[in-house]
Amino acid sequence: MFSSIEFFIIEAFRSFRRSALMTMVAIVTITVSLTVFGFFLLSIINMGNIVGTFASRLDLVAYTSKDLSLEDAAAVQLKIGKLPGVEKVEFTSKTEAWKKFKGDFGSKLALEEIVHENPLPHTFAVRVRNPDMLPVVAKSISDLEVIDEVRYSGKLIDQMRSMVGAVRAAGIVLVVLLSLATLLIVVNTIRLTVIARETDIYIMKLVGATNTFVKWPFIIEGIMIGVIGGIASFIILKLSYDSAIMQISAALPFLPVVTDQRLLWFVYLVMTMTGVGLGMLGGYISVSRALKNEP
Amino acid sequence: MIELTNVSKTFSSGIDALHNISLTIGKEEFVFLVGSSGAGKTTLLKMLYREDLPTSGKVIVDRVNVAELNPDQVPYLRRNIGVVFQDFKLLPKRTVYENVAFALRVTGAPRSTIRRKAMQALELVGMLRRVSSFPNELSGGEKQRVCIARAIVNNPPILLADEPTGNLDPTTSWDILQLLDKINKRNTTVVVATHNKSIVDEMKKRVIELDGGRLIRDQQLGMYNV
Repeated sequence: MFSSIEFFIIEAFRSFRRSALMTMVAIVTITVSLTVFGFFLLSIINMGNIVGTFASRLDLVAYTSKDLSLEDAAAVQLKIGKLPGVEKVEFTSKTEAWKKFKGDFGSKLALEEIVHENPLPHTFAVRVRNPDMLPVVAKSISDLEVIDEVRYSGKLIDQMRSMVGAVRAAGIVLVVLLSLATLLIVVNTIRLTVIARETDIYIMKLVGATNTFVKWPFIIEGIMIGVIGGIASFIILKLSYDSAIMQISAALPFLPVVTDQRLLWFVYLVMTMTGVGLGMLGGYISVSRALKNEP
Repeated sequence: MIELTNVSKTFSSGIDALHNISLTIGKEEFVFLVGSSGAGKTTLLKMLYREDLPTSGKVIVDRVNVAELNPDQVPYLRRNIGVVFQDFKLLPKRTVYENVAFALRVTGAPRSTIRRKAMQALELVGMLRRVSSFPNELSGGEKQRVCIARAIVNNPPILLADEPTGNLDPTTSWDILQLLDKINKRNTTVVVATHNKSIVDEMKKRVIELDGGRLIRDQQLGMYNV
């Protein structure tokens, strides 16, 4: 068995060398495809991260009916705090709100002349644990009797979400198309080496090599193309992502970019393994097609 | 060892390559398959190592019905049949030794066995001195010897030769036939397809003649012509 494995690898290298130019084309193609694949993966992860972070910073604001006493308001605050999904509730009394409002605008408007009495309600600023819960939490708060109105920036979040969804869908379509194109190129590259080695294959079959045995060198050749393409795209992506992150965090420090090394290495691993898989599949398909038309 | 019953082969183009052939070749026999080009000699040989399938009829090689063989089993059939070609089919970028060892490698044999058996086969065909030469450095006769070494390196019970002397001069042809005879005497069934009249006449072996895909003669100690 050991001598067979050695044989497979030597044979794979042989045909690798023999069709060096086409092999290079296949490697470059697989590298480009994987880099685009990785780029989309990272973009989607980052956009999801940005939306998630912004959404979690968004508060939901609930307004009470104006004549609620402070004691009752405190009870409501407790009640809201116990609702599922609520992380934190901040209470602002109508007096505080009015004071703040006057502080902000009082100098520009002669408020006292227009409004004689505090027109503002008590407000609760509510932060949810998970932005997905916003609509649910908003609903349960507005169901409380003393609450007049609940507001949150649902639209903005929904828009960002649907944008991320669109990018994700486009990315998936692009990645699938690129993978198919890559697969085709790998299949054709290895097909050339299969044709170049037709006599070898014929002789192998003639002297009693099993199909599996004939296939292995070509599958290994595909794997080698995939591994090289995978490593190349990994290097390209890692270097460009790291430098992009540095520039982004310098220019736009508030933007939450993904720097979780475990997640990033997972992305790189997925990308490289996809390359290996594509190469292996390409080798398998092309040699299987060559072996099919025999009695 | 080899048994054909009512074997016919019609190619998809409609050409009748073999027509209702029945014959039996015993263990350790030496048989010439003669006939002009296109008589069906090559097609008949191909039926034996399952390079091609009969349209109808039964082909039995070493007690196995070749036509009904599961494709997974074909490699094991072929390890029992050595094949020699007119154009040698040596791998040009491999040395003599590698060409012969190749046939053992693909069966997954261990390295020590490969070395021993390949050297034995090369010794038998008288090519030990040229083990590191490449095929393009060899004469036609030498190439055929290497081809024969590759065919017998697995010690198959059957050796098929398709026009083994087609590209060789008379003296070399004679040497090659002597070699095949030697292999036959080492308990191997040998079937040689040829239209080399002088060799068939000289060897005085069993002769099976095909004409237009039909078996027209099967004669012990035969000559090329009746």
